[in-house]
Amino acid sequence: MKSPAVTTAQSLPDPQVLSAADQSPLLRAPEKVHHILSVTIAAACLPLLAGIVLFGWQAALVAMLSITACGLTEWLYFRVTHTPAMLGRTHAYLTGVLLALTLPPTTPWFIVIIAAVFAILVGKAIFGGVGHFLWQPALVGRFAVAVIVPALAPLLPAGTLSPDALSPEKWGVLTPQALLLGNVENTAKPENYQGWQHDYKYKNAKTGRTVNPLEGKDAYALEHPADTLAGLSRGQPRYSSLARVRTDLPNRPPAALTSMPPMWDMFIGARPGGLGETCAVIIIIAGLYLIYRNYVKWQLPFAFLASAMIVAAVAPVHFAGPNKSVEIVFFPLLSEGFEVGYTYVNYQVLSGSMLLAAFLLATEMTSCPVTTGGQIIFGIGGGAAAMLLTLYLDTPIPAYIAVLGMNTFTPTIDAIWRPRVFGQRHLAWLLKSRR
Amino acid sequence: MLFQRFGKFDGGIDLPEEKEATIDEPIRPAEGLSSLRVPLSPCGGAVAVPTVGVGTQVAAGQQIAAGRDGGVDIFTPLAGTVKSITTAAVAVGREQLTAPAVELTDLGHSPPIPEGQTVFAWTDADSDALAERIAEGQLTTLRAKPQPLVQWLADARAAGCDHLIVNAIQGQPFVTADHRLLVEHGADIVAGLAILAKAAGIPTVTIAVDQQRVSDYPELLSGTAEYSINRVALPRKYPISVDNILLEVLTRKEVPCGGKPGDIGIAVIDAATCFAAYRWVACSQRLNGRVVTVSGERTSRPGNWFTPYGADCRVMARADEDGPVILGGPMIGQVAADGAVTSPGVDAVLATDPTPPGTPVQCIRCGWCRDHCPARLNVAMLNDHYELGHVSQAERLGALSCVECGVCSYVCPARLPLTERVRQLKSSIRRWRQTMPLFQDVAEKQGDA
Ligand code: SF4
Ligand code: SF4
Repeated sequence: MKSPAVTTAQSLPDPQVLSAADQSPLLRAPEKVHHILSVTIAAACLPLLAGIVLFGWQAALVAMLSITACGLTEWLYFRVTHTPAMLGRTHAYLTGVLLALTLPPTTPWFIVIIAAVFAILVGKAIFGGVGHFLWQPALVGRFAVAVIVPALAPLLPAGTLSPDALSPEKWGVLTPQALLLGNVENTAKPENYQGWQHDYKYKNAKTGRTVNPLEGKDAYALEHPADTLAGLSRGQPRYSSLARVRTDLPNRPPAALTSMPPMWDMFIGARPGGLGETCAVIIIIAGLYLIYRNYVKWQLPFAFLASAMIVAAVAPVHFAGPNKSVEIVFFPLLSEGFEVGYTYVNYQVLSGSMLLAAFLLATEMTSCPVTTGGQIIFGIGGGAAAMLLTLYLDTPIPAYIAVLGMNTFTPTIDAIWRPRVFGQRHLAWLLKSRR
Repeated sequence: MLFQRFGKFDGGIDLPEEKEATIDEPIRPAEGLSSLRVPLSPCGGAVAVPTVGVGTQVAAGQQIAAGRDGGVDIFTPLAGTVKSITTAAVAVGREQLTAPAVELTDLGHSPPIPEGQTVFAWTDADSDALAERIAEGQLTTLRAKPQPLVQWLADARAAGCDHLIVNAIQGQPFVTADHRLLVEHGADIVAGLAILAKAAGIPTVTIAVDQQRVSDYPELLSGTAEYSINRVALPRKYPISVDNILLEVLTRKEVPCGGKPGDIGIAVIDAATCFAAYRWVACSQRLNGRVVTVSGERTSRPGNWFTPYGADCRVMARADEDGPVILGGPMIGQVAADGAVTSPGVDAVLATDPTPPGTPVQCIRCGWCRDHCPARLNVAMLNDHYELGHVSQAERLGALSCVECGVCSYVCPARLPLTERVRQLKSSIRRWRQTMPLFQDVAEKQGDA
C-alpha cells in the first residue's frame, strides 16, 4: 500500500461499522423448548400410568389412540399447508397425552379421534401452532366432544353411542381388589367388598334393625362422588347435612359425607372419572416435579386450588330440612363444625377434575399469563370459576370450562398486569405517561 | 464494617464463573507480538490525523497522531517503525468499526506495567488543575464503550453529579482483568479514584466490588479509608455488573427509561480507568495499553496480559485453530471480526466457542425472559411487537429501559435472539422519535393505544 509521507485528514476514511454483536450473548442456557416439552410429556404420563392401572387396558387404548391421532393430524395439517412445523410434533404428542387424561376410559374410539382432530386443528393449528394458540388445545378437544356427543348420539344407529357416554355416572372404576383386570363391566365382584358404604349403617326405628340400604353395591354401581355432592349445591338435597350430626333422630336420612367414598380412595384414585383425573397423589407428584423443574410456577396451581377451596368453603349449599323443606346454608365450612366442613371442602376439590386442571392443564405455558402476578390472577379466577361451575352447573367438565374461560382472558391479564418497568414511574402504563 | 452489604434487584441469573484459569495469574507483559496496528479512533469518533510518515522510527510513548473533533491524540505503546497506514477493526460498545490504524513493526520490548513514581503533587492541586492535567493526558475511559476521559469529566460536571460509583465487579464469566488490577494495584486505583472525584467535584464516592473477592483486596481497604471512599461488596448475580442495575442496588434510584446515569446525578467509572488516570496524573506515565484477560478452552496461554493497544486479537488469543475469538465477556461481548485489535474497550480476548444458538423457534411464552430480565420488561411481548413491527407499542412497554445485559437471550428456551431484537427496537424507537415527532401527539390523542 502506497501512502503519502504524512497522511492528511481528508485521506482518512471515517470509521465504518463492520459488524454488530448480533449474536450476543455468546453463552446460552442449556435448556431448549424440546426439553420442556419432553419433560412435560413425561410428567403427564404419570397420571396416565395411574389411569391404566386403575381402569385397565381400555385406558391404554384410549391413550394410544389419542396420541396417535394428535400426531397424525398435526403431520397431515403441516403436510397439506406447507407451514414450517416447528416443534409441532412433540407438542402434538403432549396434547395427545393431556387429552387422554381428560377422557373417560370407556370412550368409543371415534370420539377419541374427533377430540384429537379438534384439539390439533381448532385448538392449535388455526392459531398458528405452538406458542400462538389462545386456548389449551387438549381442552378444546375435550370441550368439543362434550358438546358433540349428546348431539351426535341420536343420529347414529341405536346402541352405537349413548348420549351420556361421557357423563360421569356411566364411567366405571375398578375396585382396589380387582386392579388391572380389564373391562369394568365384566369384573367379578369380590364377595366381601362393600363398596364405599362399609361404615354406613343406621338403625331403622320402625323395625329396630340395623340396615345398610346400599349394601352390596360396589364402586361401579355407585354414582360419581361429585354428583353426590352436587345434590347439595344444585338444590335437590337428599341428605340433611354434611355430617351425621344428629344420629339421635329416628329415620333421619343419611348425611352427605358418609355416603362418599373414603378419603383414601379419593387420593389413590379409585373413583369414576377421566383417565388421569382421579389419582390425586400421582397428579400432585407430577405437578410438583414440573414445579421443581421450573416449568411451572408454584403460584398458579396454588392460587387455583386455594381459590377453589375458599369458594367451596363459603358457597351456599342446600340441606333437606324437616317435611321435605329445603334450607339454604351459607358458609358450609363452619356450619357444622370445622372438621366436617374441612372434609367437605376436600371432597369437593378431590372429587372432580380440579387437580388435573390446576397442575397440568392450566399451567400450559402458552395459554397462561407470562408474569407471576398474572398467573396468580389467572389461578384465582380459574379456581373460583371451576368451583362455582362444579357447584351450580350441571356439566361434566366444570374445571376444564373454567380453564378455557380464563385462557380467553390471558391476553387481557398480560396487558393489565405489568410490573413497573425499570426507570418508569409507578403505573406509568395506566397514567399514559410515555417517559 | 469493612465492606457494607447491599440489596438486590429483580431477575438476574447465576452464570457459570469459569474464572479459575486466570484468577490467580499475575499481570504479565504481552508476549509474541511482531506488529501492532494502533487504532486511530479508539472511541469510534473522528479519526486522529497521523503526524508521522511511513518509515519513521518512533520511540515508545511518542505521539503519532493528533486527535480532532474531541478525539484523543494517539501515542505509540512500543518503539518501532511505522510500516503503513492501514485499517483495523476496533470494538466500540456492541459494534466493531473498521477504522484507520498505524501499523508498527520491528517492535521494541514489551514492558511490564512500570513502577509508579509520584511526580505531581495531586493532593494539593484543585479541581480545575486536575481537570487540565487529565485533559493533557489524552486518556480514554476503559469501559466497553470507551470515551475520551475529558469528555467523561465534562459530562459528569455538566450533569452536576454528586455521587461517583466505581463499577469494579466483573460479572461476566472468564474476565479477570480488573480483578488482577485491584489485587496488584489497589492503592493506585483508589488514588486514581480520588483524583477523578476531585477533578469532577463529586463529594460522595463508592467503590463496588464482588463479595466473593473482598479478601483479595487488602490495599483497597487502607486506601479507601484514607480518601473516605465507601466500600460496598455485592453478591455475584449477573447482571449486577451492568451500570444501571448497580446504581439501583446501591442507591435505590433508577435511571429513567432511556436515560443515562447522569440523569440521576451519578457518574460511573471503572477500576482500569482510575488506574490509568492515577498513573498519568500522579506519575506522568501514559500506559498506552491495558490489562487483557486471555482465556477459554482453546488458548494455549491463559493469563492476564498487559497488552499495548493495537495488538492483534488472534495473536493475543494464541488459539490453535481458526475458531472464533470473543472480544469482551461472553455475555455482552462479540465475536472478533477479521483484523480486530485490542483497544481501550477490550478487556478480554477469549478463545472459546460460543454456545451454538441453534435454530430459533417460536416463543412458547414460558415467561423466563420476563422473570429474569433485570429491567422487569415483558420481553416476550416485546418480541411479539418486534415480529409484527410495532415500534410504538414496544416503546409503550418501556423497551428503552433495557440495559442490554443479554439475560433474556441466555435463558430463552426457544433460542430467540431477544437481546438483539430489543436492541434493534431501541434504535428504531430513537430513530422514530426523530423522524416522526408528530406521531407522539397522535398517539396521545388516540388514548395511547
Ligand atoms: S424466554 Fe423465549 S420462549 Fe420464553 S417467553 Fe421469553 S421469548 Fe418466549
Ligand atoms: S430485555 Fe434487555 S434488560 Fe431485559 S434481559 Fe433482555 S437484554 Fe437484559
